[in-house]
Amino acid sequence: MRHIFNYLFLFIIIFSSSISARDYLIIQSTTSTVSTGLLEYLGDEFFKETGIEIRTVGVGTGQAIKNATRGDADILLVHSKKDEIKFIEEGLGIKRYDLMYNDFVIVGPRADPAKIKNLKDLKSILKILSSGNFKFISRDDNSGTHKKEVSLWSKFNFNFEEKGWYIKTGSGMISTLNIASEMNAYTITDRATWITFKNKNFLEVLFEKDENLFNPYGIMVLNPENYPHVELEKSNQFINWLLSNQGKNLIKNFKVSNNQLFFIYE
Amino acid sequence: MAYEKILEALIISLNVSIFSTLISLLVSLPLGAIIAIKTFYGRSILIACIHALTSIPPVCAGLIVYLIISRSGPLGWTGLLYTPTAMIIAQSLIIIPIMSSLILKNIEQDFKNYKEELITYGASFYVITKLLLLNRYGLYKTIALIGFGRAISEYGAAAIVGGSIDHVTRNITSSIALETSKGNLDVAIGLGGMLILISFTLSFIVNRKESFK
Repeated sequence: MRHIFNYLFLFIIIFSSSISARDYLIIQSTTSTVSTGLLEYLGDEFFKETGIEIRTVGVGTGQAIKNATRGDADILLVHSKKDEIKFIEEGLGIKRYDLMYNDFVIVGPRADPAKIKNLKDLKSILKILSSGNFKFISRDDNSGTHKKEVSLWSKFNFNFEEKGWYIKTGSGMISTLNIASEMNAYTITDRATWITFKNKNFLEVLFEKDENLFNPYGIMVLNPENYPHVELEKSNQFINWLLSNQGKNLIKNFKVSNNQLFFIYE
Repeated sequence: MAYEKILEALIISLNVSIFSTLISLLVSLPLGAIIAIKTFYGRSILIACIHALTSIPPVCAGLIVYLIISRSGPLGWTGLLYTPTAMIIAQSLIIIPIMSSLILKNIEQDFKNYKEELITYGASFYVITKLLLLNRYGLYKTIALIGFGRAISEYGAAAIVGGSIDHVTRNITSSIALETSKGNLDVAIGLGGMLILISFTLSFIVNRKESFK
């Protein structure tokens, strides 16, 4: 009986310590920054210097923003500029900082049945893909990549909803790439996830380096006026550290198989 | 690297599931005893409810706990979301009905067998409970193991309220999901093997005990 009470006592200690002052920050972020390992690598460096732990939740941009809106974060780091600006305008965040960028690429089967590889124009590629003869995989999870994809279809006025060729997965980027690979289909991905993606036997990049495919990441602290639990001082410390030369260098030097994944504004 | 990840996930899983099993046991034993021994209004409905709750889908249990402890929920001020404590709460919610219903059934059975003697001696509720529990001590250990096995192999609830945060709430099951989707199959297989080993060992012990008795 006694050790049951000991356990109970231990539990109460754990329980109460999580309520009192925190020495960690919760960051709601996107799968691309978590599954590539970027935030783990930055968080470890930051922890070594300051003793503040960085805890990252990796979900789609849409869900990250929703979670932050519910208050379940200190910092939001996502890639959908329009939504980020809206988040600030609604008074939910204090100020948005441009943190880094990379770009989206269109990938598809190595055999390239749609013959888009040599095309230089995004509009004609989307036209071929929406012709209905080839499969296109959409993440359909309100993530930054999904929002980008939808904005491209609507920018060039292509209809994509509820058609047989348009397949919605509702899952993360890597799962979606795996599904594209299995189904011999085309899809769009951020470059960082693509570089880290290991199952490239059947897929390759077919279109890239287009101004429409720019992918900026923004970072912001939640507004303590709306969310009193936010650790404002520590959050600002982390963001300033990321935007300092030291943080920028760390982001610049973060490489996977010798490829730089994220680029900073010089 | 892979070895460290596996070890860390194992420690987190064990830590969380042992705590949730102990807490569930502390809740289920008195709960089961009271319902089995006492007679009160609405008892049969309560029993039916507990049996019905044994089939609560883990994801839904996770969702319920999430809604309660999220910052916008009624217990948001505790800041428990994305902590191991949150996972313990969610897992307890799943296994308390399972353990309670098993304990309830067994005490009820035992009580029926010894009712006359116990009543004749004028034993109080506390004494009856103590005697009946001690009488089948091994059985309740087995029930605890069943709860533990259920808790450690569960994914949905722990993933929703834990957020699969590295070093903090990334347990075995959420690591398997993550590493598989990343294509790190070696880590995923290592973790999966370990989880299967734990589950098999547990059910082996449980079944041996049951056939032994």
